[in-house]
Amino acid sequence: MGELVNDAQSFYNVRTVERPNIEHDLDAIIAKYRPIVSFRVKKSLGSYTPDWEDVVNEIMLNAIEKLESGKFRGESSVGTFIYTITSRRIIDHIRKKSKSLKYAPEPNPFPQPQEHVENKERAEMIARHLEKLKPKYKEILYLYYYKELSRDEVAKKLDISPRRVSERVNYAQKLLKKMMKK
Amino acid sequence: MTECKFEDLIDEYLLNTLSEEKRNQFEEHYFNCPACFQKMAERDDMITAIKWKGHEIFSDLMKEEQTRKVAVWDRLFGFMAPRQWALTAVSAALVLVVTFGVIPALKTQSPQFTLDDHQTRGQSITLISDSIPSRFEWQKMENAWEYKIEIDNHDPLWHKTTNNNFVILPDEIKHKMKTGVAYSWQVKAFSRQGILIAESSKIQFFIPEK
Repeated sequence: MGELVNDAQSFYNVRTVERPNIEHDLDAIIAKYRPIVSFRVKKSLGSYTPDWEDVVNEIMLNAIEKLESGKFRGESSVGTFIYTITSRRIIDHIRKKSKSLKYAPEPNPFPQPQEHVENKERAEMIARHLEKLKPKYKEILYLYYYKELSRDEVAKKLDISPRRVSERVNYAQKLLKKMMKK
Repeated sequence: MTECKFEDLIDEYLLNTLSEEKRNQFEEHYFNCPACFQKMAERDDMITAIKWKGHEIFSDLMKEEQTRKVAVWDRLFGFMAPRQWALTAVSAALVLVVTFGVIPALKTQSPQFTLDDHQTRGQSITLISDSIPSRFEWQKMENAWEYKIEIDNHDPLWHKTTNNNFVILPDEIKHKMKTGVAYSWQVKAFSRQGILIAESSKIQFFIPEK
């Protein structure tokens, strides 16, 4: 029977699209995508924007509604589908805000982590560990992230290749992760 | 472990240096790539801590940098005490005043037009109406060592340097001059050191048709 269907599909050149089993995965989808949507919204609007959480909730609700009602036909991945909803909602929000605030300020990409006690404590802990890194790692983080020199500028200053700069930054991050686990 | 090709964009995305097109591509990517999102979130935590507490984390590096700057400053300017620097500055200012203020004022003013061309040469040239002028004369200057006379008709025709205050035009030049054509002559005076100290205005004359 399966072979007959496959033959018919290839005969009529019918393109079938596989729909994901959404009903069973909604909880998993929310758990997976809520942090990603939150990250994207906070980066675009700034985490000090009081209504960023409302925007995230609206996006998640909208996505779930569309997934449940079958409006999502599986033509793209669920990730791309939620990304599209998120981008549109952010643009709508910025447009609305721009109308009420003539000169809406640009969000700070790295706001002070004081909104939640947990975030503040985490940032403090990271800072304490960073202080303990070897000088060569600290120096590269200082030049690259704190002074915001370009990768090429850092490479020139330290007399190493730009590729080596990235490798050293990645290794510093690995060391930090290791220290955080202890 | 295979690395995702988008991983290289994490820093540029977080530091906001990606083009709009690449930023959109990367955003769509991390909605679909949990590994990239995880790495980016960790990197973001680290950068946030660095931005927030950088002055504490890197205080030793900042001090070192400051010390290095002071050392370079000392190496460049530290060989003299501040009082010596002040004296040097005053001396330099005095030299400048003397060089550009006093010396030029003492020098003979230049250029100095002393030729009485309208009364003497201008008229005499105009008066020679039917022949080519042969003698050009100008007023002597006390501080002039030599004079240079130039005759041209748009292009240089002839010039001569002399210590006298007159020249006689050579015959071969006279023959070159055409009737009905406008010529002009000018004299420049030079000091013993070869410095231009005065120049006359250009006086035009015609060789009349015979």
